Amino acid sequence: MSYLIEKPKISSYLRGVLRDGSSRPLLGWIRARGTSAPDDYRSRGSRKPNEIDFWRGFALITIFIDHIPGIYFDNFTYRHIGVSDAAELFVFLAGWSLRLVVNSQYKVITFSRLLLHLGGRAWVIYMAQLLITTLALAITAAGAILLDAPPLLEWNNAAAAFQDPVQSHIGIVLLTYHLGYFDILPLYVVLMSFAPLIAIVDHYARWLLLPLSLAVYLATILLEFNLPTWPIEGRWFFNPLAWQLMFVLGFVLGGPNRAGTWIKQHRWTARLVVLPVLALGAWAGLTEWSYEIGEQTGWLLFTIDKTFLTPARVIHLLSVSIMFGGAFTILHGFVRPLTRLFSMLGRNSLNVFCVGSILSLTGQFVRFAFSGSLWIDFIVVTLGIVVLSLTAWVSEWRHRLRAP
Amino acid sequence: MASSFTRSLTRTGLGLVLALALAGPFAHAQEAAKPAEQKSAADLSPQCEVPNGDIASPAPLPTMANLLESGKKLKILAIGSSSTYGIGATVRGKAYPAQLEEILEKTLSGVDVKIINRGVSGEIASATAERLKSEVALTHPNLVLWQLGTNDALSHISPEDFENTVQTAVKRMKKRNIDVVLVGLQYTPKLARDESYIAIRDALRRVAATENVLYVRRYDAMQFLAKSRANLQMLAGDDFHLNDLGYQCMAEHVAHAVIANLFIRRRDPAAQTLPKSN
Repeated sequence: MSYLIEKPKISSYLRGVLRDGSSRPLLGWIRARGTSAPDDYRSRGSRKPNEIDFWRGFALITIFIDHIPGIYFDNFTYRHIGVSDAAELFVFLAGWSLRLVVNSQYKVITFSRLLLHLGGRAWVIYMAQLLITTLALAITAAGAILLDAPPLLEWNNAAAAFQDPVQSHIGIVLLTYHLGYFDILPLYVVLMSFAPLIAIVDHYARWLLLPLSLAVYLATILLEFNLPTWPIEGRWFFNPLAWQLMFVLGFVLGGPNRAGTWIKQHRWTARLVVLPVLALGAWAGLTEWSYEIGEQTGWLLFTIDKTFLTPARVIHLLSVSIMFGGAFTILHGFVRPLTRLFSMLGRNSLNVFCVGSILSLTGQFVRFAFSGSLWIDFIVVTLGIVVLSLTAWVSEWRHRLRAP
Repeated sequence: MASSFTRSLTRTGLGLVLALALAGPFAHAQEAAKPAEQKSAADLSPQCEVPNGDIASPAPLPTMANLLESGKKLKILAIGSSSTYGIGATVRGKAYPAQLEEILEKTLSGVDVKIINRGVSGEIASATAERLKSEVALTHPNLVLWQLGTNDALSHISPEDFENTVQTAVKRMKKRNIDVVLVGLQYTPKLARDESYIAIRDALRRVAATENVLYVRRYDAMQFLAKSRANLQMLAGDDFHLNDLGYQCMAEHVAHAVIANLFIRRRDPAAQTLPKSN
C-alpha cells in the first residue's frame, strides 16, 4: 500500500540496478541496495514496471471486481478456480513490499527512524480507512436518496451508521465497525502497526520471525480466537492474528532466503511440484469436495476458511506464487502495455485501493439502478479500470510535481 | 426486555397454552398427536395469526429433536441480514432472534435456549455463506436460522449463483449435523412483481425442497398480514423494515414452524415425505 511513501529513494536504487543491466529487476533491486543513481525530473517517483508492482496491480483490479457482488465479470476472477483469492495475494505482496522498503531504507536512515517511518505508514492507512468509510457512508446515503430506495441504507452493514450512529461512530474510529468490503484496511492498519516489531525481530533475530508468526497463527486457529466487532455483534472478517502469517511470509520470502533462491534456480521443477496442489485447489474450488472432508473433521484447521486464513489457503497462495513467479518477465516481453498499466496501479496501491473501494460501492448502486445487465456490468468494469488508471497516473504526476 | 411481548403473551394465555400443548408432549408424544396439533397452528398472538400454510414448508429437525429428548442446552445461530440484526426495531432486544429466544424458552420449558445474533445488514447470501464457515466452527450451533434473499434480489445476483451458494452452505451444515431453517424474503408491495425478487424466492424454495430443510415462508406470512390486517402497522418508518410488532410476528412464525416440525418428525414419519408445496 503506501509503503512506498519515499518513492524517490527506492526508485533510485532500482534505476541503479537497471543501469547495471540486471535482467531480473527484483533480485537486482535487493542485491543493489545501497547504490544510488542521480534523480532526473521525469522519472522521479515512478519505478520501472516490476513483478511485485505488476501482481499488486492485478490483485487491485481483481479486488475491485470481486467487491461488486453479482457482476458478471466476477466469474473470471481466479477465486473461482482455487481456494485462495486476491486478498491473500494482496497481503502477501504487501509483506513482500515491506521487505523491500525495510531493506532499502535501512541503509539510508537509522534503525529507529525506520521504525518511526513504518509506524507512520500504519497511521496513513488508518486515515485512509476513516476517509473511505466516510465517503462510503455519504455515497450510500446519496444513493438511497437519489434512487429513492431506503433499503440501500443497509447495504454493506451500513445500517448501524444510520440507525445507531451514537455507537457506530465510536466503532468507526476504533476500527471495530467495518462496512462490508471495507474490512481489508482495518486488517492492514493492524499489520502495519506491527511492522516496526517485525523489523525489530528481523533485525535482531531473523531466524525467530517465521516461527513466531507461525506460533501466533496456529494458536489463533486452535484457540479459535478472533477480535470482536462492535456495535454489530460479530468478529473481524479478516482475523489479523491469522492473517499476519501471510504478511510475514511475504516479508520473509521477499528477502534473501534459501527457499526463494532454490525456486528461482529451479523454476520448472518447482512449478511441477506445485502443479498437483493447484489442480487439487481448482477441483476443490469448482466442486466443493474439499469442504466435506474439512467439515467432517470438525477442526477449523482443516476447513477452508477465509476469516482464519486456514492452512489450505496459505498453501494455495504459495503454490500460486511459485507457479506464476517469473511469469512477469515473459508477460513484459509480450504484452508490455498491460504490464506497464498493472505496474502503475501497483506502484500507487493505497490510492488505487481506496478509489477502487469507492468505485466498487458505486458500481453496486449503478447495478441496482439499472437492474444489472451485462452491458451495465461491462460499462462499470471498464469505467472502473479507467478511473483506477487515472488515479495511479494522477498520483504519480502529482508526486513528480512535488519533486524538487 | 421482559417486554410488552411477554405481557401480551400472558394476556392472551398463549404462553400457557403453548407450554401445555407443546412442551408436555415431549414425554408423551402420542397424546399430542390429536387435538393439540391442530391447536398449535392457531397459537399465535391474534395480530400475527396467519394460515398454517403461509408459515412454513415442513421438514424435519433431527438434531433439535434428539437434543430436546436429552433436555440439553440448545444453541441457535441466527445469521442473515438486517432482519436478523433488527433494523427498524426500537431496541436491539426487539430483534427477532431475541424475541424468539424468549418464546422458545417459554415453550420448551426447562431447556436452556441461547440464540447468537450474527446479522449483518444488507449482506448477500454469498457473503453470509463465507461468514457461516467460521461462525459455525466457532459457535457450534445445533440449529442455524438463516434469513436471506432480500439483498440478493436487490443486488441482482443471478438466481443460479444464489441457489448454488445456499445449497452448498446448507449441505455443509447438514454434514455437521446442524439443523437448518431458511427464513425467506420479506414482503413489500413495492417489490411484489419484481422479477429478481420472484426468481430469488423461487430459488430459495427449491433449495429448501431439495435439501429437505425447513423453510419459513416469511413473504407469504407478511403478505397475508399486510392484506388481512391493513390497519396494523408492521413496517418501520421506511416502509420496508419491520417494526417491533413485525419482528414479534416474525419470531412467532419461526417459533411456530420450528416447534410444529419437531412434532411432525416425532409423530408422523410420513410427514417428512409430504410433497413440499411451496
